[in-house]
Amino acid sequence: MSDYQVFIGGSAGSIAPVITILSSLPADFNLTITIVIHSGTDSKVSISEILANHSALTVIEIIDKEQFNPNTVYVAPSGYHLYVENKHHFSLSVDRKEYYSRPAINVTFSSAAEAFGEYCIAILLSGANEDGAEGLLKVKRHGGITIAQSPKSSQVDIMPQSAIDNRAANKILSPKEIISLLLEYNDLA
Amino acid sequence: MEEDNITETLRTENLEIDLLITAIKGKIGYDLTGYARASIKRRIQQLVIDENVNCISDLIPKLLYSRQCQSNFINRLTINVSELFRHPISLLRLRESVLPYLESFPRRDIWIAGCATGEEAYSMAILLEEAGLLNNTQIHATDINTEVLKQAKTGILTKGLNKEDAARYQASGGTSSLSKYFSTAYNKQKLSQNLLDHISFSHHNIIQDQVFCSAQLVMCRNVMIYFDLKTQNRALTLFNNSLVQNGYLVIGEKESLVNSPLSSLLTTIDEPAKIYQRKSSEHV
Ligand SMILES: C[S@@+](CC[C@H](N)C(=O)[O-])C[C@H]1O[C@@H](n2cnc3c(N)ncnc32)[C@H](O)[C@@H]1O
Repeated sequence: MSDYQVFIGGSAGSIAPVITILSSLPADFNLTITIVIHSGTDSKVSISEILANHSALTVIEIIDKEQFNPNTVYVAPSGYHLYVENKHHFSLSVDRKEYYSRPAINVTFSSAAEAFGEYCIAILLSGANEDGAEGLLKVKRHGGITIAQSPKSSQVDIMPQSAIDNRAANKILSPKEIISLLLEYNDLA
Repeated sequence: MEEDNITETLRTENLEIDLLITAIKGKIGYDLTGYARASIKRRIQQLVIDENVNCISDLIPKLLYSRQCQSNFINRLTINVSELFRHPISLLRLRESVLPYLESFPRRDIWIAGCATGEEAYSMAILLEEAGLLNNTQIHATDINTEVLKQAKTGILTKGLNKEDAARYQASGGTSSLSKYFSTAYNKQKLSQNLLDHISFSHHNIIQDQVFCSAQLVMCRNVMIYFDLKTQNRALTLFNNSLVQNGYLVIGEKESLVNSPLSSLLTTIDEPAKIYQRKSSEHV
């Protein structure tokens, strides 16, 4: 398993780029990917089911204390905040919503920053509110790699733009460029 | 180097959290050591902001010298969010597979551990009433937080009945109108007294206290997610010990027994519904 861990957050307009990214990753992609998408943003169908149809990797909706495994995509369940408890497992919580959202991206990114430090790759995609910017900044402060989807390529640019304004993003990339970057890290592993 | 600073900050914060936890334990008697750390940490950091102090250790004198802070901290650190008919699919399955079992007993005890503001106990009373089982059933609802217990005892809903409540009630197999179980006064809804009479609310700490009662059904949902794995196992052992042989355990929608040695003592009745049954053998 690679030391690097990928965390992807998004809200309105983020399902499409997530599908683009996942469908381009091979079955032997080594980095664990964790996805937090605000629920209620799209349809009633569970996000993990949609994503499973577009990925060669195993897609799992997280249950409490779920352990990290390679070649797996983990999806935050709707209605719960997702914490990275430590290097080995997640935990869930029903704390109050943040930015009207549960799961909130800040919760996952911040705890991921503490658990994985410089091995954390955090990606903030399209969205209509400012959740995620604070968490992304925290990942950056802990030496991690932070990426905002380029506002131009975002269906709704408020979320990535607020991260960019916060100076939280090391890189500003389109979904295609994000795929290339992830594949590079996969080759490192 | 910045990275060293970060490591140092993390170390200091962890130390501060340990100190605060020690202070809470000493002053109020709540032991938060077995709780999942990441979420405790975030809630403590939010307290730092809300209390307008500089760092986590500044919370300690507040906790020690202000009664108001003590109850505020406990309310913030124990998450008391609940709702009526949460995880309705589970309750639907419970109607189908557990209530008939309960019917075979002349008197029944149900333990709801971590009941928060009471919605789960109210929902259970409604399910039992609809199955004609409420008479001769006692619902024992417990929580660590005395303030939510006070609220729960009144039978008054913290949030007024809404469409989502009604939808979950229906998804759980309810066919009446949910509002018929509540009376409205001063814009607040209160559970009917004849239902409330079958629920007792008591203080109980799952981590530190013994089995609360012997029960045919134990329900503990969205409480163990706050515990670390070791503490979860202790809690599960407690619940298993409180169950009569063939009694049922119901846990939260996103909780799991897979990491627990207890799973060998329980039969899975319905995994998505999170309903398990104690095997008929001796205690652990
Ligand atoms: C999120 S609420 C769950 C409410 C309800 N069971 C539900 O699922 O809707 C969690 C509750 O667990 C309680 N709790 C936390 N630690 C506890 C402990 N050690 N013993 C008993 N209750 C505890 C909290 O006070 C809180 O009311």
